[in-house]
Amino acid sequence: MTTLIIILLLMVGAYLVAVLESWISTGRFQLAAPLLAGIALLGRESIIPRKPDRIFFEVGPVLLLLSGLLAAAVIPLTPDLIIADLATGALFINAALVYVLVALLMAGWGPDGAYAMIGGWRFLGQLIAYAMLIVMPITAVAMRAESLLSSQIVISQVDVWNIVYQPLGFVLFYVASMALAFLPPFDMMIAKGELAGGVEAEYTGIRLAVFRLGRLVLIITLAAATVIFYLGGWQGPWLPPWAWSAIKILAVTAAMLLAGRYMPRIREAHLLSWCWMLGIPLALINILIVGVLVLVYP
Amino acid sequence: MTAQMFFIGFFGLAGVWFGIVVFRTYSMVRSALALLFSQTALGAMFLSMQAEFLGVLQIMMMATEMSIMAIFMVMFMMDPGGLGTMDMTHQKRLSLIAGFVSFVAAVLVALFVDWGPIAATFPDAAQQTVDLGLELLNRSMLIFEMAGITILTAMIAATAVAIKPIERITNKSKGH
Repeated sequence: MTTLIIILLLMVGAYLVAVLESWISTGRFQLAAPLLAGIALLGRESIIPRKPDRIFFEVGPVLLLLSGLLAAAVIPLTPDLIIADLATGALFINAALVYVLVALLMAGWGPDGAYAMIGGWRFLGQLIAYAMLIVMPITAVAMRAESLLSSQIVISQVDVWNIVYQPLGFVLFYVASMALAFLPPFDMMIAKGELAGGVEAEYTGIRLAVFRLGRLVLIITLAAATVIFYLGGWQGPWLPPWAWSAIKILAVTAAMLLAGRYMPRIREAHLLSWCWMLGIPLALINILIVGVLVLVYP
Repeated sequence: MTAQMFFIGFFGLAGVWFGIVVFRTYSMVRSALALLFSQTALGAMFLSMQAEFLGVLQIMMMATEMSIMAIFMVMFMMDPGGLGTMDMTHQKRLSLIAGFVSFVAAVLVALFVDWGPIAATFPDAAQQTVDLGLELLNRSMLIFEMAGITILTAMIAATAVAIKPIERITNKSKGH
């Protein structure tokens, strides 16, 4: 039952993300637009390119959707609304989201097209940049909670939210999650104007619909992860827990989408040098600061 | 208990099958990703054996490692897509013998080593993580730190070898 509710909520969330995305990029608020676009996609022929790696071509979009859903399984929306409160929850989110890379590699390699392949390998370069900035801030979060249980991480923020306790970690995690969800300005692998859609380029019809749905679920899952790690999860005054979760997750999503709107695309080579020369030292400093803080003011 | 045995067997067989696929395909990317799913099946085996942390860690680490291996295969192999159906195997007789001998050795070890009594109780997943952390920071610290530094050295050395030396423009060569 919980599983069904959470999947339903994720789908609603994904729909709202799609509405938000089109609102922010076109400036028009159209509630029905994603529905119409989805129906249009389902109605279209799903073309299979010449000489594809058929297994990769088919598995890619499904695996993308699956990894977002799996990561969402360990995220508590209210104290009770969680599919599996694993003892390794914070690590499990990582483990599930690494398969986004595998999915994009498959989707890039599968169709036997140059643009798609370049897009897929670009994401590998991007992963080398952002991966440490996902893991290291989570380490600091787990240090404060003294647990990897995601519900315990939320409870550890009763007094002070992690965004105040470890703002440096928040900024790093926020930027890294945007890179993980290949949101602009980190969307080099689907770069519309330059790679003609990159990984998406050869997909049409229902396969493209699954791919896009997978990406929307990924965005909402990452926003939810940001909320439970840094924004106190379901906690807040007056309103019930589920309402706070919903408000915070949508606010984080909107902020992520808006942030990308005003920045130029970042080349993955530049992203690599920024992440390794600035990001990782900052993440290590964050761990050190949090380590001292935990001893002084837990 | 039977469900547990079923899943251990299932993921074990899946691991072996993906291991076979690694050598049955001509495409280097398929080969690398088959190895990834073989390792993922191993992680799932850990999960079925209720070693949660090890399982999740295995599933997480292998995805990145094998994907990176895939791009190295594409960079260094002459026919990464396997379109030319080039035979990439060599020293077949030696590898057959070596494979068979190591298989027999592994089976013998599994059957004849005294593994001690089967543990009746085991700590829960959270406690396992705590125990593992304490183990890594106590008795096994030296081993892991040494392994880590060795890998880091190898990585720096490999990068240093791969980088093309930059021709530095000095004042002398400019003609000042």
